[in-house]
Amino acid sequence: MKKQTQINKGLLLFLFFFPIILFAQETITGKVINEGTGEGIPFINIVEEGTNNGTATDIDGNFSLTVNSLPVKLKVFAIGFAEKSVSVEIAGSITIQVAESTESLEEVVITGLATSVKRSNAANAVSSVSAEDLAGLTPPQTLDGALAGKFAGALITKSSGAPGGGISVKLRGVTSINGNSQPLYIVDGVYVNNNSISGAGLNAVSGAAGGGNASNQDNPSNRIADINPDDIESVEILKGASAAAIYGARAAAGVIIITTKKGKAGQTKISFSQDAGFNTIIRPRGQRNFTEDRIFDIFFSPDPDDPVAEQNSRDAANAQVALFTDARNNGRLVDFEDEIYGEEGFITNTSVNVSGGSDNTLFYAAFSNNEEDGIVQNTGYNRKSIRFNINHDFLDKRAKLSLTSNYIDSRSNRGFFNNDNTGTTIGVALTSTLPYADLFPDANGNYPDNPFGSSNPLQTRDLITNREDVNRFIVGSALDVKLYEAEKSNLKAVIRGGVDYYQLITTAIFPEQLQFQKPSNGGLNGLSALGTTENKDANYSLFLVHNYTTDNDLNFRTQAGVTKQTFFRNTVRNITSDLIAAQSNLDQGANVSVTQFRQEQEDQGFFVQEELNYQDKIIGTLGIRGDKSSNNGDANKFFYYPKASAAVNIHSFDFWKIPVVNQFKVRAAYGEAGNFAPNGALFTAYTNSLIDGNVGIVVPATLGDPTISPEKQKELEVGFDASFLDSRIGLEFSYYNKSVDDLILQANIEPSSGFTSRFANAGNLANRGVEIAINANIIQNDNFDWNTNVLFFTNTSEITKLEVAPFNLGGFGAGLGTFRIEEGKSATQIVGTNADGDLVVLGNSEPDFQITWSNNVRYKDFTLSFLWHWKQGGDNINLTNLLTDFGGTSPDYDDVDLDPAGTTPNGPFRIGAFRAGNATPFVEDASYLRLREVGLYYNLPSKIRKQVFGNYVSNLKIGFSGNNLINVFDYNSYDPEVSNFGSNGLSTGVEVTPFPSSKRYLFHLAVDF
Amino acid sequence: MKILKNILIVGFVALIAVSCEIEDATNLNGPTTDSVSEDLSRAELRQTMAGVLADMRVQLATQTDGQAVAGREYWRFQSSDPRWTADLLTGTLDDNTFYTTNPYAARYATVKDINLILEGLENSTAGFSAEEIAATRGFANTIKAHELLMVLNQQFQNGIRVDVNDPDNLGPFVSYEEGLTAVFEMLTTASADLANAGSEFPFVIPSGFDGIEGASGVPDIPEDAIVSPADFLTFTNALMARVEAYRGNYASVITLLSNSFMDMSGDLRTGAYFTFSLTGADIANPLFFALNSTVANARIAHPSFIVDAEANDNRLSKVVFREVLNDATGMVEANPLTSDNLTGTHDVFIYDSNVASVPILRNEELILLLAEANHITNPTAAVAAIDIIRTAAGLPAYSGGTTPADLVTEILNQRRYSLYAEGGHRWIDLRRFDRLSDLEPLDRGGDATFDRFPTPANENRN
Repeated sequence: MKKQTQINKGLLLFLFFFPIILFAQETITGKVINEGTGEGIPFINIVEEGTNNGTATDIDGNFSLTVNSLPVKLKVFAIGFAEKSVSVEIAGSITIQVAESTESLEEVVITGLATSVKRSNAANAVSSVSAEDLAGLTPPQTLDGALAGKFAGALITKSSGAPGGGISVKLRGVTSINGNSQPLYIVDGVYVNNNSISGAGLNAVSGAAGGGNASNQDNPSNRIADINPDDIESVEILKGASAAAIYGARAAAGVIIITTKKGKAGQTKISFSQDAGFNTIIRPRGQRNFTEDRIFDIFFSPDPDDPVAEQNSRDAANAQVALFTDARNNGRLVDFEDEIYGEEGFITNTSVNVSGGSDNTLFYAAFSNNEEDGIVQNTGYNRKSIRFNINHDFLDKRAKLSLTSNYIDSRSNRGFFNNDNTGTTIGVALTSTLPYADLFPDANGNYPDNPFGSSNPLQTRDLITNREDVNRFIVGSALDVKLYEAEKSNLKAVIRGGVDYYQLITTAIFPEQLQFQKPSNGGLNGLSALGTTENKDANYSLFLVHNYTTDNDLNFRTQAGVTKQTFFRNTVRNITSDLIAAQSNLDQGANVSVTQFRQEQEDQGFFVQEELNYQDKIIGTLGIRGDKSSNNGDANKFFYYPKASAAVNIHSFDFWKIPVVNQFKVRAAYGEAGNFAPNGALFTAYTNSLIDGNVGIVVPATLGDPTISPEKQKELEVGFDASFLDSRIGLEFSYYNKSVDDLILQANIEPSSGFTSRFANAGNLANRGVEIAINANIIQNDNFDWNTNVLFFTNTSEITKLEVAPFNLGGFGAGLGTFRIEEGKSATQIVGTNADGDLVVLGNSEPDFQITWSNNVRYKDFTLSFLWHWKQGGDNINLTNLLTDFGGTSPDYDDVDLDPAGTTPNGPFRIGAFRAGNATPFVEDASYLRLREVGLYYNLPSKIRKQVFGNYVSNLKIGFSGNNLINVFDYNSYDPEVSNFGSNGLSTGVEVTPFPSSKRYLFHLAVDF
Repeated sequence: MKILKNILIVGFVALIAVSCEIEDATNLNGPTTDSVSEDLSRAELRQTMAGVLADMRVQLATQTDGQAVAGREYWRFQSSDPRWTADLLTGTLDDNTFYTTNPYAARYATVKDINLILEGLENSTAGFSAEEIAATRGFANTIKAHELLMVLNQQFQNGIRVDVNDPDNLGPFVSYEEGLTAVFEMLTTASADLANAGSEFPFVIPSGFDGIEGASGVPDIPEDAIVSPADFLTFTNALMARVEAYRGNYASVITLLSNSFMDMSGDLRTGAYFTFSLTGADIANPLFFALNSTVANARIAHPSFIVDAEANDNRLSKVVFREVLNDATGMVEANPLTSDNLTGTHDVFIYDSNVASVPILRNEELILLLAEANHITNPTAAVAAIDIIRTAAGLPAYSGGTTPADLVTEILNQRRYSLYAEGGHRWIDLRRFDRLSDLEPLDRGGDATFDRFPTPANENRN
């Protein structure tokens, strides 16, 4: 590393604000202009290389710098521009052109609570995703979905194709079995809530929780979906405790740090962009090829013992065949899958932002409106987001105040899908609906009852409401003050606070005319449910950061701080049934029930960290975080999370003599982090019941543990970074080993205790994995650039200790495939009984490896970017086929490729396996190769632009893009990326008639004024 | 110097952090069990006892259906869970799935509700009188015995745990016979307590027990329509009679029945019931399905119930012929339902709405218990009891043989029709007399009978 880059951030600011006047010998004057526009750029730093001598440009881009002697080299740099080195031979006026860049300055990564570190000095492989990578290829629907495939070490799974989120992000394997396994999101210093809150009332209709699995299975969206990806400047991902220890008790599942956009000083810039497009189902499952014989077989049951019954059955079957033949001959056979899932959902995104600033104040204001219809009628997502960010310097620029604020109004119509026990969801109803069913409404809008099931899916689609409405404010503020400053040391204080407040309203309306709501069909005569959740999370912190540099360039940076977080949630769910005609207000019905859930939590913590940096050659960090929480058995007991790391830039040492390798860093980091027990794990709380008008209290299913302590994760990460051929090629290699001790398990307990499960700290878990990233600028010249990036990553988990009996979770029992927690086995193994009735391992939801390949190709004014994602291995439990087998509608019902003997068709084979308790056919490989994102853009060249628009338009870009346009998989359903049980927890990858996922095609126009 | 300053800062910061105490969390969403077990208040007694009675109904349908399917009373069709027509008819039972684990866990949850009350009663500072304590113990132990009997009915020779007070230290499994003995002793203690329990319970007895109000013959003091401990004792005795019949102690059955709410000339439906409603946290009758239900969820009478019935037996009204109007022809047509190679023509329809009450124990069973208790020692009395049932069913008086074997056959037949679909009686009864083979021929090749449900896997019984 060259010496000049060692000037640290604090010092730069110092230079920026207090130009040092030396005894003048030579004066260089000049102007820094934007290479693209020719305009002067204000506030660009200009420093004489190898010295502390520097200045900054004024509002017009002019500067003047006095140096001791000529020639000198000047380093020209500022956030948002490519750094440039200029040789000056003679005094006088010069013009320096600089180019705008997103990878400006030297990239820094935020790793501490109050500080950041240059990437070249980082001891962890911290992944970063830039604005361009996040949303530049194709506009993502949600932030977390946009991360898929863009960094190493994550398994990102979409639970539902319904627009509006529902995404699971697992960093470096499974980190918790029953606790939170989703990362902590921090947006501009505000801890942002990412709950998935089940709506009211769906389970009252679907009865999903009443059967083999106590989950509602209603797939709510997760709340990080509210953050508008367009507002994001960068995302950094701390994947495990070694990087995230300083975040302490909430960081075990990783931390995703999001920084939103800020204004740039200078002329006020207005950007407008408009996308329009549509989505369509990725892959329909298709229809069974029905014939008279096949219809007959569905309905006929031979009964040799009872000829009368057999004849009745034959007559009934023949009657169905007649209906089928008639419908077919009259062209009335309907592809109901296409009828339901065949829509092209319209997508439109509009965003406008205005940014700019003066010498000491920067602002960024943005408005966006995203609308996306689903591939099912009456489903869709709409998000309106307003952001205003402001940064202000004062007290002679020794103090910096920043304020970020965001208001979001989102609405998501999610339809009615997934598993049920009542035959009412659209997905389950379709499984038994034959193509000659008469389901369309008559002229008066009356829907016939579905003769093949308990609901008419077209009626359900058209008449029900299942909606989430969110109103949310996220406001954060930070004050950064230099308390003390001297030549070799300085001290600053950072005070931060943030609030994330939202109100989530879930509305479910099932009108009384629905087939399954009619009292004559045993229905409730209409059901209306309204759930209201108020959530307020707040965080406050105070840090002190002290810098001290010794005479031999050894820098000590000491930081210490205290943090406090409070969490408040209140969910009230109301369900009214037996509705007064066509009414949906909660008082317009006979039976009203209310449930309420409250949660309050307070966490406090402190941390201390010491960083040592010896000439950017050796960088070491030691730190410890202590946390206590009202969610622990003992609220005032501190849990400590230490960390230690070291990075050595070997290439900076004098002995390094390999010119082709211009950077070689080895690094190692160790850290610990925690994960809280799920809410309520401390208590054994009665639940309510009612009999004969008398309120009663009954024991819950789960026994609490008043002594529960947080899970503790310990992670060691080692690796190296190397750059070759002047950084044209980069290689990053990391190996990690992370263990989770005191795993909180909701383990089975002997049911004779009166409980079915209990919370306990009762096991350990380990994840080991490798992450490799290769980046290459293959071609780099004026007209043609090609940058390519390959990521390879893999993870293996193991339950290393289990103090309770092995237990199943997250499925529907051993006969259908289930996850099983067992000592010495993978945490994500899928077991089930095989054909011999033995419980065996049938699969594992963890992929063998994942590879992603992203490319950016620019030819003159055209840019082509694409991202391939290959997930190899990882199994799903697919029960959709079994349900369609029962209904006789599986597309592959008559194929013969499952039976090892090659005789029984797939449908009867799967049903037979089910009857025999053989789960083997239901566990399927969920590998895929998909073109996740592709975008082709054209930037109008400045010459043409100026001819057409004069100086009013500074940039104009048009393009096309798409998501998931090419998908290759063997998986026997809509999409291997699916989760019946939503986004949290272990058991992603179980499929029961989901909302199918879609691909998207979009057209873009972006204009900067 | 620098280091000293750093230490000072660190110390200062740590001090701030440590000095702010956090309050220990309390549960915001309901009372915790220790508040009851550590000191039971009067209000908590009312609420926990209402909880017990509400909890008794949980998984009632799964238990009843499981036993009724095992006893070929009806078939349970559920398109989303075909194990009803697979495992439960083939006899290949899973020890870790809903039909095994759910009823078992639900009954023990009620037992836990009761144990917490009994523990809280010991520790109570609410000043309960000796009579109130006896009333509470007597009532609670009766219900606890009922719940354990429900578990025993399914577990049979696998046996059950009786001592389940401490989740970390559960008592041993005892055999079926020992289990019945324990249940009997629990009821004996309960009846002793109820005899010394004064005139009123310190909690509300729900209206499902109104049928036994006044059954004791002891006038209520004050005179109002409240089920008194003496009334409730007639239920305890009736339940003991059932247990004694299961144990074959017929002399004891006769004595107990005479102290029960049995009424030879009364309404056969009189007895104790579970009640349901659609209000709030209450639950609907889970055994109700509308007529002509689809394969999504149906209870279809086993054809033998119709075929085997004596002519004119009015108890056949418990099943209803499935028929549907054909819109095209205007004709009403049969509407049989088929699932999994089983076709039935009749719906089970013993409850006419989703809030209809479900019997726990009623007069008709008691009269049949009396017939059974007399069938060896006093055939005349047995036949007299049988004829009460036959007459009520619109049948002529019994004219068959009076050997014990003949009478057993007749009693089992009457029990089959009188208690149809109510609690899985037929399966238990045939098992008691070692006549499960009466269920043959079975419906399909590969079907088989079984005499017990497996012990749930999570009992970790090795």
